[in-house]
Amino acid sequence: MADQASQTREPREIPTAFAIAEALRIAMASDPTVILMGEDVAGGGRRPEGTDEMGGIMSVTRGLVGDFPSQVLDTPISEMGILGTAVGAAVTGMRPVVELMFMDFIGTCLDPLLNQASKFRYMFGGKARIPLTVRTVTGAGMQAAAQHSQSLYWMTAGIPGLKTVIPSNAADAKGLLLAAIRCDDPVVFCEPKGILFLSTDVPEGDYEVPIGKANIVRAGSDVSLVGMGATVGMALAAAAELERDGISAEVLDLRSLAPLDEEAILTTLAKTGRLVVVDEATPRCGIASDVAALCVDKGFDLLNGPVRRVTAAMCPVPFTRVLEEAYMPSTARILEAVRGLL
Amino acid sequence: MATVVAMPKLGMTMREGSVVEWPLAVGDAVEKGHTVVLIESEKTQVELEATDSGVLRHIYVEAGETVPCGSLLGAITASIDEPFDAQAFRRDNERIIDDTPATPAAPSARSGAPRGTGASSHAAPPRGEAAPVTPAARALARSLGIDAARVAGTGPGGRVTKEDIEAFASRRERLVEVSPGLSLEVLRQGAGAPVVLLPGFGVGVASFAPQIQALTAAGGFEVIGLHPRGIGASDAPDQQIYEVAAGAEDAAALAATLGGPVHLVGASLGSAVALELALRFPARVRSLTLITPFVDATPRLRAVADGWRAIARHAGTDTLSRALLPWLFSQRVLGDDKLRERMQRGLSAALSVAPADALDRWAAGIAAWSGSRSANLTDVSVPTLVIAAGADLLTPRGEALGSAIAGASLCVLDSVGHAAATEAAEAVCEALLAHLRAH
Amino acid sequence: MQPTPEILQVAYRTMRTIRSFEEKLIELVNQGKLGGFLHACIGQEAIAAAVCAHLKDNDHVASTHRGHGHCIAKGVDVRGMMAELFGRSTGTCRGRGGSMHIADLEKGMLGANGIVGAGIPLATGAALSAKLRKTGGVGVAMFGDGASNQGAFHESLNMAANWKLPALYVCENNGWGEFTPTEFVVPVKDIAERARSYAMNAMIADGMDFFDVYAKAGEAIARARRGEGPTLLECKTYRFMGHYVGDPLVYRAKADADEWINNRDPLKLFETRVTSEGLLAADNLRSIDEEVTERITEAVKSAQAAPFPDAGELMQDVYAVG
Repeated sequence: MADQASQTREPREIPTAFAIAEALRIAMASDPTVILMGEDVAGGGRRPEGTDEMGGIMSVTRGLVGDFPSQVLDTPISEMGILGTAVGAAVTGMRPVVELMFMDFIGTCLDPLLNQASKFRYMFGGKARIPLTVRTVTGAGMQAAAQHSQSLYWMTAGIPGLKTVIPSNAADAKGLLLAAIRCDDPVVFCEPKGILFLSTDVPEGDYEVPIGKANIVRAGSDVSLVGMGATVGMALAAAAELERDGISAEVLDLRSLAPLDEEAILTTLAKTGRLVVVDEATPRCGIASDVAALCVDKGFDLLNGPVRRVTAAMCPVPFTRVLEEAYMPSTARILEAVRGLL
Repeated sequence: MATVVAMPKLGMTMREGSVVEWPLAVGDAVEKGHTVVLIESEKTQVELEATDSGVLRHIYVEAGETVPCGSLLGAITASIDEPFDAQAFRRDNERIIDDTPATPAAPSARSGAPRGTGASSHAAPPRGEAAPVTPAARALARSLGIDAARVAGTGPGGRVTKEDIEAFASRRERLVEVSPGLSLEVLRQGAGAPVVLLPGFGVGVASFAPQIQALTAAGGFEVIGLHPRGIGASDAPDQQIYEVAAGAEDAAALAATLGGPVHLVGASLGSAVALELALRFPARVRSLTLITPFVDATPRLRAVADGWRAIARHAGTDTLSRALLPWLFSQRVLGDDKLRERMQRGLSAALSVAPADALDRWAAGIAAWSGSRSANLTDVSVPTLVIAAGADLLTPRGEALGSAIAGASLCVLDSVGHAAATEAAEAVCEALLAHLRAH
Repeated sequence: MQPTPEILQVAYRTMRTIRSFEEKLIELVNQGKLGGFLHACIGQEAIAAAVCAHLKDNDHVASTHRGHGHCIAKGVDVRGMMAELFGRSTGTCRGRGGSMHIADLEKGMLGANGIVGAGIPLATGAALSAKLRKTGGVGVAMFGDGASNQGAFHESLNMAANWKLPALYVCENNGWGEFTPTEFVVPVKDIAERARSYAMNAMIADGMDFFDVYAKAGEAIARARRGEGPTLLECKTYRFMGHYVGDPLVYRAKADADEWINNRDPLKLFETRVTSEGLLAADNLRSIDEEVTERITEAVKSAQAAPFPDAGELMQDVYAVG
């Protein structure tokens, strides 16, 4: 994606949150039908008293309303209304980007995604396009407890007609978000808490990371670690640790959960024969299970050991640190899984 | 005598196969080792080689036909007019299937290998469940015509991995047919007087690594490491017991191909095989070296072998080697972290050639042989060196054994464990070289 | 409806406890001793204290992410609450819930809540339950102006009015939906106006005035207990602190906030009135202050001394056993 550019320029390290803002800025500047809607996305800024806007709970969108006053819309705390309105706007010529503050809140507004946006193209005989993007924060690790920490992308990835993407770094976040906004399908764009404030080299300007393409972020030959979002970093840390033991781990970043890059998963499995999939979400009906099922279904003769899933525990996200750590996947748990395979 | 050509069973999943081509016509001369028929199973074609020279007497299954494993395909006789009783073969058909080595090596009417002569009333060992095989290993084994059950699993839980199949496949290149229908994995290194190495229970020739290196470096010797039946890529006749005598016959057959008597070196079970060989075929033995030998298996030896088999059914070689380490090495090794780890890794590698079935069969062989030669030590007529280990938990009476063999040189290594060739590699090499040079 | 001196004393203790509890936790957050998302209700104490002064343990309150005050006023033990914020096994929810999920069903506290508006139908359900079980209890929803924009609010009010449920909907209109001024996203001047759509009784109280809220909540709750249906009580108030503890407050003019903080502090207003009218003596209030400070200090101490839950408890209570 950005490889060509990175060869000819100085690295520019910025946090994922800033990279997302850059993508929004580029998208709004290049297309006036792109609108940003959500609670506090303007955040009460530009009041006569000279106050600054908050730009959302994570301050991702701070500064955008000043440059795009007619494209950045503060909404009330009305998730059902926001999502439904956005779907209606999308199907009639706008290209809305909705900020759903935490993915946990999807419980209050699932219908516009589940029964409306995801179904229109198909249900209307292919005649509708729904260029809607839903940006939403996912993941545990901040002691935000049971209703602000869930990784529910398995839910949207399981709905036909919805695409779901999740970047693992700032550069991919920018490119994936631009691709999502310009995609004529509804796309859920997950922003894992674990990476929002991590910085990586991000190219300037306009570029897209294709939806549906996984990415090898580290090549290896003994075992494949498949991650998504914040678990890619855990997998890379595990791979570095394994290298010290002479074990060569390949790390595949799924980037796109729906559609799933099956070819990339089977390719890395063919290379190593052993696969550990690491998912921040709960284990049932999830992405990790999908990857494991794919390996057994289409890659059975490639398997040189069981597929291991390292996921969150099958319980609500606990508040207290000791339980939250036990709940979450970790580098240590990846290492344990890998060592059980070799 | 007639030799049959039957549909082999190439791997656990093969149930039937088809004849692709008979390159020869009935009445044509057949040469041992040359292709007699081309068969196909699960998209893999395999050439069956004639195990004896003669004449292709009958073709029972024509090209294009598919038949179950074990079916009679054809017959080779010494001459065109020698009769061949197909009915008699078919009556024994089932037994043939059971005894057919499950490798592309040509099947033979012989039941794999000669039966041993030792006490065979010993009860059959309990057969465990098959070791788990990863799908990738299974697929590779299928494509290479390897029976995955023949391969020792080094993965967690004793799982047979793709790497194990690859290692097995590369070892197959070293197969030598020591007797009709029985091929054994043989490693040859160096040139000179032949020295045949017979490894201990459940380990491969790798257990002699320091000796192989020393003998090769010394020059003047050809080191020939023999993987007994069931170990490594060696054929694994489907018998409940691998008799020590059969092992001796296999090694004697190999020795016969080497021209002249050989230096024979055995460790532990290998020393039992070597002793048996020296007693039965003294003419083939130039010298005998018995490392940590025994003639009576102690209760502890039997118990350790039993635990060994049980662990091997359910664990990989890494785990197994950790469990065995305290039995095979002295406190000196166990007390030194670095040394212990090195020995454990080496042991793990040496163990990686012994599948669980072979352990069961050889354990039964040890039990059957134990005590059968106690009274024959005085009959040893070849120059003998006995290397006993002072801290040997498994075969503690090595020194007494050495004293019982008239004229034997005795080397006792103080404070060394059962795996003396590894633990006291230098001392063993020194004593061995001196012995070999003297004879 | 005039509160007795006993009630006033309890109310002051409640308000002071809420204030001290939250001031302490802000201090602890600043020291890096507390994690998670914490939302302070400083400035809004009078509403919790006044509404809950009319409630018993079999009356149920459903709260919000800004729920410490409601919990304290409803009688949840501050030691357990503090231990909960510290994530200890002695916490109200054994450390599993944290600030946004403190609940104590024995005290009729249905829980703080991380989902804006989610408590409103829960309180409606508690009211339905009280009516069907004839307990004489009421269901009280405490929520902000922001939650009144959720579908759950409108759907609940409609049902409660239609069924004449013994419910009270207390909207704490503090002027801010998270970081956004209420007037940016709400076209009506008073949230109370919304009750009219559902033919529901509505009242507006000065949320900084304990006496006003006490009187109006008392009237609404009495009405509910008599079976005359629900009330929407809007209390005009102000969020002295940010949306969450640590909020940089860039979006709010300091002068606006200072106006409220300096002149409309509910504790100061309360003190001025009770002392000037001779209802409670200043000494009495000071000794309550001391007593509260001691209680909070002790709560922190005991929380810090308490053990964390064992990691092995992770999978406990996911499902009912047996």
